[in-house]
Amino acid sequence: MRLMLSILLLGVAVGLWGCQQEDKRINMVADVKSDNAVVNIVTKPVIYAFSWVIGEGLDIDRAVTYVNKDGFMELEVQGHNRAFNPIRFEYKVEWLDKSGITIDSATSKWLTWSAAAKAPFVIKAVAPRTTAVDFRMNTRKIPN
Amino acid sequence: MIKKLLAIVLFASTVTFVGCTAPTENIDTINDQGKPVMQLDYRDFDRAASQMVQSLIKSGSLKKEGGGKYVVATGRIVNDTMQRIDTDQLMAKVEKELMGSGLVTMTSTVGGGTAGRDSMMYDVRDIRDSEKGSEFKQDTLQAKGQLIAPELSVSGKIIQRNIRYDNNKQQVEYYFQLQLTSMATGLRAWQDETIIGKRGDKKSVPW
Repeated sequence: MRLMLSILLLGVAVGLWGCQQEDKRINMVADVKSDNAVVNIVTKPVIYAFSWVIGEGLDIDRAVTYVNKDGFMELEVQGHNRAFNPIRFEYKVEWLDKSGITIDSATSKWLTWSAAAKAPFVIKAVAPRTTAVDFRMNTRKIPN
Repeated sequence: MIKKLLAIVLFASTVTFVGCTAPTENIDTINDQGKPVMQLDYRDFDRAASQMVQSLIKSGSLKKEGGGKYVVATGRIVNDTMQRIDTDQLMAKVEKELMGSGLVTMTSTVGGGTAGRDSMMYDVRDIRDSEKGSEFKQDTLQAKGQLIAPELSVSGKIIQRNIRYDNNKQQVEYYFQLQLTSMATGLRAWQDETIIGKRGDKKSVPW
């Protein structure tokens, strides 16, 4: 009976330790942070494989735009990478004027970005003209 | 019989060789899916120019106190790579965007490169000051003291570093550096660097 109770207590302690709150501003990826009861050397390959099977990738959380003091619209796209591996991709931001017409600019080119594994990422862009009032952004895989 | 056989062999060889030739195709410069190359190609210049221009606009260094536009000249862009790069290729994109931003006016009076400077400006002045000047209607000739001197200059450097990565691969790093300098004070108003790195077969020639 005592042995059962000890095992139960140990299980609860390990479980609680595994669920301890981490500062969300700091991203400690696997192999850097300590293993816990949920993610350890045994379960890690399974979790990684599952993540790959379900096709975890990048998610965009929000896009913030504002006009800076010089009158140029600035864009900050905030997202996070759900996958266990870094994801490199290309993105292109196009700026639109008040009529919805695309502004022709040499800055609207495919640019490369890399999102670290299981981490948030931020993409920033500045409109090339003060006439820009909106944007659209495309992404694509990097050609091999 | 031998002649006929020879003709067939020749025909077959020709067909085979023609079939092996890679067909020429136009590059889709808007959505180019082509694989990267070890040398600098137009995509690298596009990326570098895009990042530099965005950085420069964002810095606020081009906003003139009290309104108006700065007059900007393109200074010397040093090509310190193993490739024969015309640095005007990069600066033409940057200059176009800077002018498009509405913040600056580029000048063709002086410049470190060749594309940004218009020699005709001095040719017509030489004509004005020579005997040939009398052949022109005097009121159509440029008056003296009309040129506007640049207030800012954009200069920079493209650097290449080759590094042996392992037995089979090499790493080539390209550094695009630009800086903006006030002509009146000599003080640097802005500076940035874009790095483009490539890793590939050590047999690939990056020049």
